[in-house]
This record gives sequence, C-alpha cells and structure tokens, in this order.
Amino acid sequence: MSWLGIIVTFALVDNVVLARLLGLCPCAGAPRTFRVILGVGICTTVLMAMSSLAAWALETLFLDPRDLGFLRIPCFVLALALLALLLESMALRISPALLRAAGFSVRGVAVNCATLGVVLLVTLERLSALESLLAGLSAGCGFLLALTLMSAIRERLDAERVPRSLRGLPLSLVSAGLVALAFSAFDRVFLANLLGR
Amino acid sequence: MADVPVAGSLLVSPAPHIRGAGSSALMTWTVTLCLVPAAAWGVFLFGAPAAFVLLVAVGTALATELAVVLPFRGFTLGDGSAFLTGLIVGLLMPAGAPLHIPAAASAFGIVIVKQSFGGLGRNWMNPALAGVAFAHLSWGGALAKWVAPRGALPGTEALAPLEALRMVLAGHPAVRGSLLRVLADSGYPFSGIDGRVVGWINARLLAPLGGALPRGVFDLLVGNAAGRIGEVSVPLLLAGAAWLIARRIVRWQVPVSFVASFAVLAGVFGGLTEGRGWFAGGVFVQLFSGSLILCAFFAAPDPVTAPLSATGRYFYGAGLGVAAFFLRFYGSMDDGAPIAVILGNCFVPLIDRLVRSAGSGLGKAGAR
Amino acid sequence: MKHAEGFSKGLFRENPVAALLLGLCPAAAVTGRVIDALWMSAGFLAVLLLSSLCLSLLGALSPAAARDGGAGLSRGRWIGSLVITACLASCFDLLLRAFAPGASARLGIYAPLVAVNCIVLGRVELAAGGLSIGRSLRDAAGTGAGFAGALLLVSVVREALGAGTITLFPIGTFGGSLAVPLLAASPARAFVYATGGLLCLGYLAGASRLLSSERRRGESDRA
Repeated sequence: MSWLGIIVTFALVDNVVLARLLGLCPCAGAPRTFRVILGVGICTTVLMAMSSLAAWALETLFLDPRDLGFLRIPCFVLALALLALLLESMALRISPALLRAAGFSVRGVAVNCATLGVVLLVTLERLSALESLLAGLSAGCGFLLALTLMSAIRERLDAERVPRSLRGLPLSLVSAGLVALAFSAFDRVFLANLLGR
Repeated sequence: MADVPVAGSLLVSPAPHIRGAGSSALMTWTVTLCLVPAAAWGVFLFGAPAAFVLLVAVGTALATELAVVLPFRGFTLGDGSAFLTGLIVGLLMPAGAPLHIPAAASAFGIVIVKQSFGGLGRNWMNPALAGVAFAHLSWGGALAKWVAPRGALPGTEALAPLEALRMVLAGHPAVRGSLLRVLADSGYPFSGIDGRVVGWINARLLAPLGGALPRGVFDLLVGNAAGRIGEVSVPLLLAGAAWLIARRIVRWQVPVSFVASFAVLAGVFGGLTEGRGWFAGGVFVQLFSGSLILCAFFAAPDPVTAPLSATGRYFYGAGLGVAAFFLRFYGSMDDGAPIAVILGNCFVPLIDRLVRSAGSGLGKAGAR
Repeated sequence: MKHAEGFSKGLFRENPVAALLLGLCPAAAVTGRVIDALWMSAGFLAVLLLSSLCLSLLGALSPAAARDGGAGLSRGRWIGSLVITACLASCFDLLLRAFAPGASARLGIYAPLVAVNCIVLGRVELAAGGLSIGRSLRDAAGTGAGFAGALLLVSVVREALGAGTITLFPIGTFGGSLAVPLLAASPARAFVYATGGLLCLGYLAGASRLLSSERRRGESDRA
C-alpha cells in the first residue's frame, strides 16, 4: 500500500471508531473538558504509533520466524502494558502534577479495544516497519478526529433539553451513529479512486 | 426557555434563540413555498411517479412526527418543519424510486435525527439529508430508478447526466474537450427542443464568431434532463433561493461559499481525476446537474445545523465545497452533495466551539 | 437469595452494556448477525468466568500488597492479570478458529479483543484486588448473562432490519437462517453497518434508562 493509501485507509475509510467500532467507551463516555479530550487523543495516537512499531518488531523478529502465532495476543497485550507503564513512569519523572492534572489514567488509555485493535489490524496488513508506524499514527489521528467531533457534539447536546431517558450516553451513541453514517461516504471505492484505481 | 444549567455563568446555546411559534414557523413555510416551483417542475417533467414519491415522503414525515410528538408535546405540525423535511427528502429522490424508500428516509429523519434530540431546533444534523444518506446506504442501487423527462423520445433509457458521465469517463480515459461536449458526443439523449435551440444559436449567432455550443446546454440550463425530482431546474431553485436571501431567511454566506469553493475546485482539479488535465472540470455540467444547488441553498444554510458565527459560516461553506468536490469526483456516489452536507454538520459543533473559545477571549479557562 | 440478587444485578439493573455502557465495542461490532452475537457471548462468558476464577485464586493465595498507593493494582498484579486474561482470550480465539472457522472469520479481531474488553478488565481488577471467589464467580456469571442478553437483543433487531434474516445454528434440516417476512425482500442494509450498530446501542441504552426510571418511580410510589 502506498503511504497516501495507508493514511486514508487507517484515518478515514477504516476509522477506528466510526468504521471499526473500537474505542467507543472513551468516545461516547462521560463528558470531559476539551483539554482532557485532547490529552486522551494525543496520548492514544502516540501509543498506537509506538505499539504498531513494537508489534511489527515482535511479529517479524520473534513470532513469525519461530511460528509462534498463537502467542500473538499475550505478547501484544504485554507490549501494550509495558509501553503504558513506561509512559506512566516517564510522566511521573517529568512532573507528577501533570499526571494528576491530565484527568485520565494512562493505563486505561493504553490498554483498550482501540489500541489492541489497531495493533492487530496493522499486523494483519503485513506492512514494513515505517509503514506500520505510519499506520498506527494515522489510526490515532482518526481516533482523535472522532473523539473531538463527539466531544463537541456532546457538549452541544448537554446544553439542550433532550428527552430524559436519552440524555447523556444514549444520545451520544445515537450521535456517533449519525457521524458514522456521514463517514460511510469514505468507502473502498473512494479509496480506490483516490489512489488512481 | 433556558433554565438548562450550563457550566460557567454564561449560557451559550445553539440556534434558534427565539423560539416563538410565529416567526420560525413563518420562515419554515416560506422556505417550503420557495421550493414549490422546483417541485412542480419535477412533477410536470416526470409525471405521476414523481407526484407519488413526493406524497409518500411528505405524508410519512407528517405521520411520524404526529405519532411521536402528539402524546408528549401536542400538535407541532403547524411549525412546518416536518413538511419541509418530507419535501426535501422527496425532492432528492429519483422519480421512479420504490415508495418504501422515501418513506423510510422520511421516518428516519424525523424520528432518529430530529425527535430523538428533542425536536425543532435541537437536532445537529439535517434530518432530510440524513434520511437520504440512510436511504443510499441501505438501498443503494435500488434507488437509482430514473424516469425519462417528458418529451424524451419513447424508448430512451433514462439516465441522470452525472451517472452517464461517470460511465463514459470510466470507459475512455483522457477524452479531451469540455465535459458537456464529451457527454453529448457519447450519445446522451438530449431533447429535440435542445437540438433545435442549440442548432439555431450555433447557426445564427456563433458561426460567424467561429464557436459552437455543444448539445445539451439548453436542456441543462432549463432543467429538461433526467435527475432527481427537485434538482433538475436550477433557475427555479435559484429564484426561490434569491427570494429567501432577499427576505433574510437564508444567510448567503454558506450557500455562496459552498458553491464557489466547489466550482473553483471542480473547475481547476476536476479534470485530473479522469486524466483530462487541468482546468477541464466542466463547471457548467457539475453545477447544473446533481443536487448541489438544492443542497447548498435549501439545506446547508439551515440555522439549526449551521455555525453560529459569520466566520464559522465561511469556513463551513468552504469546507462543504471541498467535501462535495472529493465525494463527487472520487466517491462511490455520482452526486456527493447530500452526504457532504451531513459530513459538514458533524463538524459544526466543533467549529462553533473553536470560534467561541478563540473569539471570546476566555481561551482555555472559558472551555471549562 | 443474596446469590440470586447478585446474579440478577448483572443481568438487569447493572447490565454492563445497556445500563453501565461498558464493553460497547463488541456490542456494536459483532451484532450484525445473531449467531455471531451468540458466539461472542459464549466466549466472553467463558473468558470472564475463568479469569475471575484464576485471579481470585491468585488474590487469595497472595494477599499482601494488593494495591499500590494510588487507586489501581500494583504493577505486577496489573500486568499479571492482563497476561492471564490475554492467554484465555487467545485460547477462545484459537478454539473458535479450529471448531467454527466461519464464525471466527466473521468475528475477526473482535474475538481476541475480549482480552482488553472494559467489562472483563473491570471484573478482573476486582477479582485480583481481593474479591472472594464465590462473589467473583457469581458477579461474573450475572455480568456475562447480561452481556449476552444485550447482544442478543441488538443483534436480532439489526439482522432483522438490516438483512431480513435471523441466523442461528444449523440443526438437522434447518439451514440456520430464518427469513423475516416483510423485510427480507428489501432490507435496510445500513443497520448491518457501523451506523446501525451505534444507533441500536444508543436506543437500547435509552430504553434501559426509561425502564429503570419507571421502576424507580413505581418503587417510590409504593413506598
């Protein structure tokens, strides 16, 4: 796949949240301030990029040569967990206050459907190291896009008088469904045409 | 209205701010009235099937709104928004569409996109266009049942111009010449009247100057070609829109920046996708066929789903033009305009938020 | 009585998907077909029960320093619980690939994703943090049943509206697929795609809220 193809596929056509339906819990979840949302999004993007690269390394250097495919999931989860702890200790060393003020837990952001899902999807494509990194980064950007859109919509909904039973998360999910409807315009045909058939 | 608690001491709520039943209902019915000429032309051109589609779309919209709202908020059909939603859904359907499709599209728009969020003024996505997008996603091919316009030779297969273009350009890349000439040369069944008018103009007015108009100019200009019920007659749509803008019911920023940015992009880059070079996009064909004008002037500027600020509206319109360009030239549908608008709707809360925190001077503190 | 209450809590009042709105990813993603939802629920329940069991046992055997200063598990326990759950999820994925390759192909990456499912991780954290084995298993069973119920409901609606069929296990002469009378001719495919999953989930959550507020009103009326 070309670089443009990778970016468009992982960010738009197979958007992590809106097409693959991963990472819904942070997106539709409890309302947070814009700064926290940005923090979650950026942190997730960095983690997706790093873990995609780590997964490529694990797959190419360890799992594939020795035919240990059945160990894939535990290895990837371990890699994600270690990356999370690494980031956590780095943040603690830079500034403990930063971690407290961030408003989210690095462990929670690092090990969830979205991050593991992206890692698995990238590995399935059998890309090179640099392409894997780009794919993880694009997926993260797609996630960030969906997250910011959903958070702005949620903010607007919270200021409106909506039907009582639908208030909050239910309407958030319905809105996510409508955003997914709009994003369904980015499909395989779009990708093929964009890349010049 | 607002005893809705909001963080901070200021209440910034989305439009409309004046919810008096009188003024907003009058505006909505005026918009509906301005769509009637184009709708009437569609029914005249395509006959009974078009009338049925419109009837079903509007009827379903009214019925579902009544069913969902009557037990809770009483009778709301007087505000005209359900009627308008049904009308727009019907106008964006091909005349031969199987009737359950406009019905489902209307129902989807009213129940899921509008009433789930609290009704008039509280939705963030355009109900009619969302219903149309839902119909395309759900029934795709079954929807494209075009009806030949009145006056077409019997036995001609009806095909919308954009659809025909896509087929022609897919088969023969790098065909030179203006897009309309390409379409005419491929044998697209333009009407007899068009042949006579264009022939007369070419013979009397243009031959001495050395130029020649391609066939189809008259048909597309006047709206005598196949297409969706409400999109064919651009002059009637523009007349209605001009009235709405003159009466300040529709703000011109969104539609004009939408059409302008689309026209520029299509004109400059449009030809690149089929290998026809720069500045070969065929702006005339792109604007006069497809639902761009209808969506740009009657759906996109809806104050409920458009940005609050003027700056926001310029960006929004321009963004819609970009989206429509990409979706029409690279997307899987022939006419990307309705989905481009709902894609833009998704970004409106974000645009509002960014403009608000940038302009209010409160910055990050205000965001809390 | 207490055991039944604990079990039913996971099924209705604290239904993980409808009420607590956790584990949304598989609930939206694999409910395009009823049979996929059934396989997913089965695997989810198995992984949840086994991981709760394992981690409660481990928690009972090594009670010291279960939690670190902050709100979470100690690092060692956290990684340990993740890896154990991942191994169990991996087993589920491999078994599915071996015995139901069709289902495995359709579930795709969502089968191994049980390893990091929010619900599973939440229960696992409770189990590893020192919850008794009995309570762990009981709550896990209730949660798993609630998950299965929610998934079943969503998948029936989605498949009926979106494909006009209801696909179950083929038994004997029954091919496995029931056609829904009016919808089979021209189904609304959007319900089988991502947008349908999200919409159905949203309305399921709304319905659950409505029911629970009605129940609360009923209880306070009686009180």
